Amino acid sequence: MAKKTYDLLFKLLLIGDSGVGKTCILFRFSDNHFTTTFISTIGIDFKIKTVELRGKKIKLQIWDTAGQERFHTITTSYYRGAMGIMLVYDITNEKTFDDIVKWLRNIDEHANEDVEKMILGNKCDMEEKRVVSKERGEAIAREHGIRFMETSAKSNINIERAFSELAEAILDKTAGREADADAARIAVERRPSRAPPARACCS
Amino acid sequence: MDKCIEIIKGIKAFEEILEQDVIDIKELQKLAFNGVPDDKGLRSLVWRILLHYVPKEKSARESTLFKKRQLYKQFIDEIIVSPGGPADHPLNISPDSSWSTYFKDNEVLLQIDKDVRRLCPDISFFQSATEFPCLEIVNSNGVKRLHKRVEQSVLKYSTLERRGLGVAKIVNSNGVKRLHKRVEQSVLKYSTLERRGLGVAKLSNEIRRSESITTGDYAPLNEGCEAHWEVVERMLFLYAKLNPGQGYVQGMNEIIGPIYHTFAIDANKDYREHAEADCFFCFTNLMAEIRDFFIRTLDEAESGINYMMSKLSECVKRNDRAVWDRMERQELRPQYYSFRWLTLLLSQEFSLPDVERFWDSLFADPHRFNFLIYICCAMILLVRDDILSGDFASNVKLLQNFPPMDVSLILNKAVDISTR
Repeated sequence: MAKKTYDLLFKLLLIGDSGVGKTCILFRFSDNHFTTTFISTIGIDFKIKTVELRGKKIKLQIWDTAGQERFHTITTSYYRGAMGIMLVYDITNEKTFDDIVKWLRNIDEHANEDVEKMILGNKCDMEEKRVVSKERGEAIAREHGIRFMETSAKSNINIERAFSELAEAILDKTAGREADADAARIAVERRPSRAPPARACCS
Repeated sequence: MDKCIEIIKGIKAFEEILEQDVIDIKELQKLAFNGVPDDKGLRSLVWRILLHYVPKEKSARESTLFKKRQLYKQFIDEIIVSPGGPADHPLNISPDSSWSTYFKDNEVLLQIDKDVRRLCPDISFFQSATEFPCLEIVNSNGVKRLHKRVEQSVLKYSTLERRGLGVAKIVNSNGVKRLHKRVEQSVLKYSTLERRGLGVAKLSNEIRRSESITTGDYAPLNEGCEAHWEVVERMLFLYAKLNPGQGYVQGMNEIIGPIYHTFAIDANKDYREHAEADCFFCFTNLMAEIRDFFIRTLDEAESGINYMMSKLSECVKRNDRAVWDRMERQELRPQYYSFRWLTLLLSQEFSLPDVERFWDSLFADPHRFNFLIYICCAMILLVRDDILSGDFASNVKLLQNFPPMDVSLILNKAVDISTR
């Protein structure tokens, strides 16, 4: 069995209307690559990336979902296990922004109450095609008390930052729950000679 | 040499059956199950028959085709060419107002447009021009082109670049949209990848896909010409309009794609010329059999996708308990990988020629689509050693990006499972 090469595992989920760029955002983050045309996501896709935050190795298990209504029964079953959800719209497409409310309702219905959320207005490199102002994005995020960022998977704007902020917010929560002594334990654990962790199996 | 003789014999066997006055469907199924030769447009004709489009009576073939092709022409005319803009006032809020229908159609069209532009990006076929464009549409000054209707929201920079539109915008874009910038970026991307030493093998699939994209875009062609993806867009739009209860669901593009490709490269010019109409009806017939996979409310029904996934899981359990146990323990649910396998009849898992070979067997399966379950089960069993040694993450990755493998290896295994 493979040794556990990380300290924490965070499960993240990307949701939003079809064509807003969820797969592109994920691909930019995981492989630092961009392509304009992806085959459409059917059902659910999956990527892993390990990041380092505050001296901890965090393995991000990121699920990428299909946007169209038909796939909701499949995709909503992933909400429950998610610790962070990124809700993506396309700043050049009004409807994808209007649907944010619908997606938030979905999260309320299916996700854990304390799930960390973030709204991303993607394709912000396409300024001349913009129909949703940054202010409107900020307003809806403020209204729901959620983090917000405009991103571009194409021009690599804020992609890395969005994931680390979301991961950090989850880390804050996790850390808050742990006793102070845990910090010391983790420091010890990170030594090369650490004992095998309890949950070494599935990642 | 032996192989040559085999192939010629194979072709002859098909030709003999297809020449019969009344085709023996059972014989044809048996033969097609082991693969239809690529030569002489055989696959294209055999699929038309197996999908119940071309009648088994030879004497009825011509007239059926003629009638259906006329009908398709009529669909295009009534649904796409003839309608002018909506007649009533745009602010008419009545649900039957033609504007309201127009806007609803545009939403469907927007979705279709997004999907046909990402169909089989690893081959250039769908981006190339068809020999037989729909003349009423391509010579309409763009007015009748479907993608024109949704262009506002989907026009891509790449399209702008290709067609040389909005030059001022491009010049004033700080270089973001200039072609050379894109080249620079992609060079940078590769060097970054190399530097970071990221698992090259695991990326190769996606890079292969994206490489072909940087060389060819799904751009609309000039007046008088039409790309194959535009033809697919039209067929899917007509299907959505004619099947309002079902509409368009993502993934249908992946079902219609291989059929259209097979028909459009037919050696016989007459068949090639009517690839669009024939494909439309074959697709419609195929959808009649698998449409339940695409309907959310039928997920739990016996014909629905969840039932298919549990059948697959049962099949794995019966044939390889160790693998099944392992996947259960890892909570590696069938919907993580087999939802897509089953819904799309494996069309996103393999290269197009392989998909076409799989579909020979699937269409020849008298109990459609039992054999699909066996193929999927065979795929899992063939990577059993990896699954048994891999952790959850690597196993999901493995099954979601199934490694290239000899089709006959998978098919033989599937036959083996089916006869156990």
